[in-house]
Amino acid sequence: MPELQRKAAAAPAPGGQRRWRIKRVLGEHPAGLLLSAPYALFVAAVFVYPLGFGIWMSFHHYFFTAPGAVVPHPFVGLKNYATVISDPAVRASFVHVGEFLIINVPLTVIFSLLLATALNNAIHWRGFLRVSYYVPYVTASVAMITVWMFMFNSGGIVNRILGPLAPNPAWLVNTTWAMPSIALYVTWKQLGFFILLFLAALQNVPDELNEAAAIDGASRWQSYRTVTIPAVRPATTLVVLLAIITGANLFTEPYLMTSGGGPNGATTTPVFLLYQKGIEQGTPDVASAIGVLLVIGVLLIAYASRKVTERE
Amino acid sequence: MKRSIIILAAALAIASMLAACGGSGGSSSGGSSATTSRGPITIWYSNNPQEVAWGKQVVAAWNAAHADQKVTGQEIPAGSSSEAVISAAITAGTTPALIYNTSPASVPDFQKMGGLVNLSAFPDGASYIESRTGAAAAQYKSTDGNYYQLPWKSNPVMIFYNKAIMQKAGINPNNPPLATYAQFLSTARAIVESKAAKYAIYPSPASEFFQSWYDFYAFYAAESGGKQLVANGASTFADAAGISVEQLWRTIYAGKLAGNEPYTGDSFADGTAAMELAGPWAIATYGKMAWGVAPIPTSGGMKPTAIYTFSDAKNIAMYTSCKNQATAWDFLKFSTSLAEDKALLVMTGQMPLRANLTKVYPAFFAAHPPYKLFATQADRLVEVPNVSNSIQAWQTFRDAWTSAVIFGKGDVSASVTKAAADINKLVSQK
Amino acid sequence: MNTSDTQRMPRWRRILTMTLLMLGALVFLFPFYYMVVGALQARRNPSLSGAIPWLSNLTLSNFSQINSAINLGQSLLNSAIFTGAVVVCTIFFGVLAGYALATLHFRGRGLLFAVVLLLQAVPFQLLMIPLYVMLVRNFGLGDTYEGMILPFAINSVAVLIFRQFFLQVPREMFDAARIDGAGEFRILRSIAVPLVRPAILTAALVTFIGPWNEFLWPFLITKKQSMEPLAVAVANFTQTGLAGHANPMGSILAGSVALALPAVVLFVVFQRYFTQTHASTGVKG
Repeated sequence: MPELQRKAAAAPAPGGQRRWRIKRVLGEHPAGLLLSAPYALFVAAVFVYPLGFGIWMSFHHYFFTAPGAVVPHPFVGLKNYATVISDPAVRASFVHVGEFLIINVPLTVIFSLLLATALNNAIHWRGFLRVSYYVPYVTASVAMITVWMFMFNSGGIVNRILGPLAPNPAWLVNTTWAMPSIALYVTWKQLGFFILLFLAALQNVPDELNEAAAIDGASRWQSYRTVTIPAVRPATTLVVLLAIITGANLFTEPYLMTSGGGPNGATTTPVFLLYQKGIEQGTPDVASAIGVLLVIGVLLIAYASRKVTERE
Repeated sequence: MKRSIIILAAALAIASMLAACGGSGGSSSGGSSATTSRGPITIWYSNNPQEVAWGKQVVAAWNAAHADQKVTGQEIPAGSSSEAVISAAITAGTTPALIYNTSPASVPDFQKMGGLVNLSAFPDGASYIESRTGAAAAQYKSTDGNYYQLPWKSNPVMIFYNKAIMQKAGINPNNPPLATYAQFLSTARAIVESKAAKYAIYPSPASEFFQSWYDFYAFYAAESGGKQLVANGASTFADAAGISVEQLWRTIYAGKLAGNEPYTGDSFADGTAAMELAGPWAIATYGKMAWGVAPIPTSGGMKPTAIYTFSDAKNIAMYTSCKNQATAWDFLKFSTSLAEDKALLVMTGQMPLRANLTKVYPAFFAAHPPYKLFATQADRLVEVPNVSNSIQAWQTFRDAWTSAVIFGKGDVSASVTKAAADINKLVSQK
Repeated sequence: MNTSDTQRMPRWRRILTMTLLMLGALVFLFPFYYMVVGALQARRNPSLSGAIPWLSNLTLSNFSQINSAINLGQSLLNSAIFTGAVVVCTIFFGVLAGYALATLHFRGRGLLFAVVLLLQAVPFQLLMIPLYVMLVRNFGLGDTYEGMILPFAINSVAVLIFRQFFLQVPREMFDAARIDGAGEFRILRSIAVPLVRPAILTAALVTFIGPWNEFLWPFLITKKQSMEPLAVAVANFTQTGLAGHANPMGSILAGSVALALPAVVLFVVFQRYFTQTHASTGVKG
C-alpha cells in the first residue's frame, strides 16, 4: 500500500522517534510555527478580538456605553442585516463601490503592467521616471486631495483647459462624474504601488526565456504575451486581489473629497456609511452588519477573481 | 483550505463570545461618592486660539485659589470629528471632568451612552442654570426634564454683508434691502449680475449633518417665529414656513446665486461671496473689511426685534468618568460667573448664554457697537431639539436638502414631507 | 535590466516609448508640482497662470504660518517615531512570517495565510472602536506611542510581499542546504536573509506609507497636541485652523508639502537599490 510505504519511508530510524512524532503533529518544519508566531499573535490580538466583537455586535442591539453604565444588549438575530439590506442608501453604496471597482481594477492592472514593463526597459532617466510615477503613492491623500479638488473645481485649471467640454456642474459635484473622478484619482494615486509589485516580478523573469523566444522567431509582442505575462502571473493575481480589496474598502477619498456622501449621495461607499452610522450616529450594530456583509462580498469577489486569473 | 475556514470561523465565534462578556460587564464606577468628592480634575476645551487663551486664564485663576483641587486644561480638535473623539473617550472611560465644547446635538447620544452627569442632581443645579440663562434654558433640558448640559455660549447666526461689494453693485451699503425674500433675491441678483462678486451668498453645500444649521435652520427659525426642528416628538418643518424656506433656497441655487461645490477657505473674506451667514466669532476675522450685519430675512418681512435665528451654541457637560464631581461643579460655576463670562466675551467675541446680555454688560457693548447687534439677537435663539437619534435626524434632513434644494431634484413639498416622516420615525425610537 | 530586450527595439520605438513615459511622468508629477507652487504663493491664483511660479508671488510665509499653528518639528518627530517603529517591527517579524509561509510546511500554515488575506479585506473602521476600547480601557495605552503603533505593528501587505518573494526563490537553494545538514534557523540566517534584501526595501517603502500618512487612528488615540503625528496635525488644521489666515489654501498646501517631502526624499534616495539581482544566479553553477 502506497500509504503505508510512504509512512514507513517518512518514519526516521529508531532514535528519531520523538522528532518524527513532533513532525506529525506540527508539520514537516515545526520551526515555521516559531517563526510565524509573533505575527500570528499580533493578528490575534489586534484583529481577531475586534472583528469577533464586531460580528457579535451585528447580531445584537448595541451601542457603546460608558464603563459602568448597565444597558441591555438583546440578541436580535438578523434584524440589523434586514435593516441594512432594505435600506436603499446602503444598496446604493454597494453599487457605487462596484462602479468604482469596474473603473479602477482594469485600469490599474493594465497601466501598472505596461508602465512597469516600460520602466524596466528604460535605460535613460530611469531614476527620475521611477520617482515621478511613485510620488503620488507616497504622498498622503490628505495632502493631495486639496490640490486635486482645487484643480477640478468649477474654476479650476482642468475646466479652464477643457473650456466648453467641461461638465457642468463641475466634476466632484456632478452626480454622474463624481465617482469616476474619485476612481481616476485613486487609480492615479495608487499606481506606483502596483508598478512596484510588477517591477519586482518582471525583474525575476530570466532573460533566457525571452532570448529563447526571440531565437524561435517570436515577435516582441508575441514573446511578451507568451513569456512575460504568464511569468508574472503570481504578481498579477496579487495585484488584482489587492486592488479589489483596497477598492472595496474605499473611505478616505470620498470622505475628504465629497464630504458627507457627495452630490445627492453619489459617492457613498459601504465603509463611509459604516463610519457614519457606527461612529457619527452611534449605531455600531447596524454599522457592523454593513461591515460583515462587505467582508463577505469582498471575499467572494476575491475568490472568484483568483479563479479567473489562475485559470488563464 | 476548507479546514482553515472552519477553524477560523470557530476562532472568531469564540472571540466574539469572549468579547461580549468582556465588553458588556463593567464594574460600576464611583456612584454617589463621586458626586461629593473633591480633588484634581481635567477639562477639555476647543483648540480655537482665542478659546485656548480664555481657557488658560480661567484655569490659572482657579488654581491660584484652589491648590488642592488642581485643574488641568487640554485642547481637543474642534472639527466635525470631535464627536467621534468624545464618544470614543466615553466608551473607554477616558473623558475628562468637563468638556467645554459639547455640541447640544450630541447630548442625547452621550446621555444614552451613560456618559453625562445629571446636573440637576446637584442641589443648586437647575437653579443655577436657570438663573444664569433665563427662559432660554428650557431648550437645553433633556426629555426627562433634567439638565445634562450647561448652556455656555452662543454665536447667533446673522447675515454679514460686504459693504464694498454692495456699493459696487449699486446697492445702499449702509442699509441693503434684505428684509423680505423678494428683497433678498433682488439684492442677490443685482450683485451677481453686476459681477460685483461671483456669488451673492455661499453657505457650505457639503452634506455633513450639521451644515443645515447654518442655512436652513437659521432661516426657518426666523420664518417660523422660533420653532425647533422637532417639537413634542413630531417634525415641525413640513409646514408653510419650512416649505417657503426650502423654495427660497432652491431659487437661490437654481439661479447660481450661491455655489454648489465646497469652497476651500473663506468665500466672504476672499470676496467671492457678498454675504455670509455667521456669528460674532467672525468679527475678529473680518476686522479690516468694511462689513455690515443684518438679521435673517423672512418671507413677508418682520421687525428686527422679533426675528429669531439659530444659536450655534456650544455647551459644557460633565462626564461620568469624573471622580471629583463636586470640584467639577464648583469649577463649572466659577468659569461661568459674571467675571468669567465677561472675559469670554472680551477675548473671543462669542455671546455667553446669559439672559439680557446688553443689560448685564452695558459698558462692553457701548464700547463695541458691532457686538451689540448680536447680543440683542441672543435673546431670540432657537436650539437644535434634544431628541434621540438627533444626529441621524439631521443627516436625513441634510440628504433631502442637498437633493431637492441644492441639486433641484424632485418636488420640494414632497421632499420635505418625506424627510419629516423619516425623522418622526427616528426620534420616536429609543 | 532587460537590456537585451531594449537593444532589440528599433530606434523609433525606443524614442516613442521614452517620450510617452516622459509625458506620463509629467502628468503624474503635475499635481505634486502644483502643490509645491501653491505652498510657495503669497496670494492664491486659481487661473492657469497660477501654475507657473511667478517670482513676484513667491514666499515662505505659508510655512511659517503653519508652523506657528502646529509645531512642525514635534509633529514630524512623532510621525518619524510612529513610522520607524512600524517599519522595523514589520521587517523583522514580516520576513520571518513570509519565509515561513512560503517555504516551510507546518500545521496552521494554510490558516495563517487565509487570515493574512482576510485581514486585508476587513475595513479598519469596523475594528476601530473596539480596538480603541481594548487598548485604552484594558491596557491603558491612550496618548502613548505604543497605543499608536500597536494596530499597525506588522503590515500584512509586507508579509504578502515577503511571501511572494520567497515563493519565487527556487526550492533547490533551501533543500540543498537542508541536505547538507543545516538547521532551519541557520538556513534562515545564512541564505534567506541575505537574499531578501531587495524585497526588504520594497516592503519598507510600502510599510512606510501607511503610518506616515495615517490620520484616523492617531487622531483617535492622541489627545495631547504634543503627541500628534504630522498627518493628524495637518488634517486638524485644514478643518479648523483657517480663520484669520491671509492665504488659507497656501497654508494647507504648505502643511501638505511638509508631510509629503520627507517621504519623497526618502524614496528618491533609496530607489536606486530596487534593482534586484536575479535569484537564479544563486543556482547557476
